[in-house]
Amino acid sequence: MLGFAKGLGYTFKQLTAKKVTHFYPDVPYPMPPRFRGIQHFSPEKCIVCNQCARICPTECIQLTGKPHPDPEKKGKIIDTYDINFEICILCDLCTEVCPTNAIVMTNNFELATYSRDELFKNLNWLDDNNTNVREEN
Amino acid sequence: MSMNLDMISLNSEFSEGTGLRTEEMLLNVGPQHPSTHGVFRLVVKIDGETIKESLPVIGYLHRGTEKLAEGLNYTQIIPYTDRMDYLSAMTNNYVICHAVETMMGIQIPERADFLRVIVMEMNRIASHLVWWGTYLLDIGAMSPFLFAFRDREMILELFNELCGARLTYNYMRIGGVKWDAPPGWIEKVKEFVKHLKKEIENYHALVTGNEIFINRLQGIGKFDAKTAIDYSLSGVMLRSTGVKWDLRKDEPYSVYNRFEFDVPTATEGDCLARYQLRMAEIEQSLRILEQALGQFPEEGEIMGKVPKVIRPPQGETFVRIESPRGEIGCYIASNGKDKPWRMKFRRPSFNNLQILPKLLKGENISNMVAILGSIDIVLGEVDA
Repeated sequence: MLGFAKGLGYTFKQLTAKKVTHFYPDVPYPMPPRFRGIQHFSPEKCIVCNQCARICPTECIQLTGKPHPDPEKKGKIIDTYDINFEICILCDLCTEVCPTNAIVMTNNFELATYSRDELFKNLNWLDDNNTNVREEN
Repeated sequence: MSMNLDMISLNSEFSEGTGLRTEEMLLNVGPQHPSTHGVFRLVVKIDGETIKESLPVIGYLHRGTEKLAEGLNYTQIIPYTDRMDYLSAMTNNYVICHAVETMMGIQIPERADFLRVIVMEMNRIASHLVWWGTYLLDIGAMSPFLFAFRDREMILELFNELCGARLTYNYMRIGGVKWDAPPGWIEKVKEFVKHLKKEIENYHALVTGNEIFINRLQGIGKFDAKTAIDYSLSGVMLRSTGVKWDLRKDEPYSVYNRFEFDVPTATEGDCLARYQLRMAEIEQSLRILEQALGQFPEEGEIMGKVPKVIRPPQGETFVRIESPRGEIGCYIASNGKDKPWRMKFRRPSFNNLQILPKLLKGENISNMVAILGSIDIVLGEVDA
């Protein structure tokens, strides 16, 4: 039974080893800078090019634009922008194709809600989600 | 397999030896069962403690990845492959990128190739660690699971730093990789390799030398090389019968031909052999990692020259690579558009699982979980 005893010896050694667990909900868990969390959206940067909605593999982004209020300026500005977090897989492709970095990832990841329709986030909510925004994109 | 649930009939008869009247019984295991490692259902017909027949029922996690892929362009399919074999998403990412790159003849920069090999080998170790921990949990040892997950956590943390996700990496792109290694990341991987090399010794001390463990696994779930080839098994399932077949060695892809490593094989073909091979594979992966980190190019591009819209030429292609579970293949039939006309993945877990009814026949019911665990299936991949 030598092998058995050797195994027990290793387990015993762990009594003095450093703890590896985290006190997660009580102490926030820091994520590295590249972490793909809930997106932040800046409406003023958006040029309504529709690329994010087209690249999305789960088609969870829906957006509409409206003509620029200043008649002298060309192009469109964003009117509505919704992400359905029921089906968003946070794959990072929308931020990758965005030419103006209007949509970027943040480090926030806590999405649990009591009701499914709360997971449907609109433009204002995504604009207000402006903490821990990812630097590199 | 032609058997279905209606065809299982139960007998009650006098046993010849003892003259006792015994009755056969159907036992349903799963789909929600801790030892089936996912949503997998197994219907077994047992006579006393002996398994007479068994019927695996799969499909509870079927999402139709191959059909969905027909409506997506090639970059959009990559996140879906993360969710097939979710314990080694990097190899799945690689197989689709490799298939498209082969079709279009795209050259990959050296640095990207090295990054790919490094993450794939780390993922192989992570996957084997999960197997090691949960397999021992299946056969009744609690503490190895905790040690395995402690060390796997380090790999996940490194991946999180590299690509911003812990499990569904979506790291590779057609033509290269999405992110370059952040400053100091390579050093961290080097430290991790050193750490795990020491820990592997402890794993062996903890489990491999344990006499109870050896007696428990020796000689169960046995099959020979011919059976393995007939069932088109691959990976450790095949190598445990003495067939030396590893695509990293026999059909080198990426930069694997630049590294020295062995292909561990065993001849016994039982659960213990498969355990020993997976442990040996972790050590070989560490060897590859050490060499890859040593030869890692100081600087360079991480994306090759790729057209803006990826349209592989009309035709078809099939590539295969070595995943932790065996040969994972990707077949693409293209009609020259930006979406595949047909896509098929050869998933090793699915093929390896087919031998289960044969292995279980005549076995004791207490060996059932040990045999199922030794096949190392991932249900996301079985059902795709």
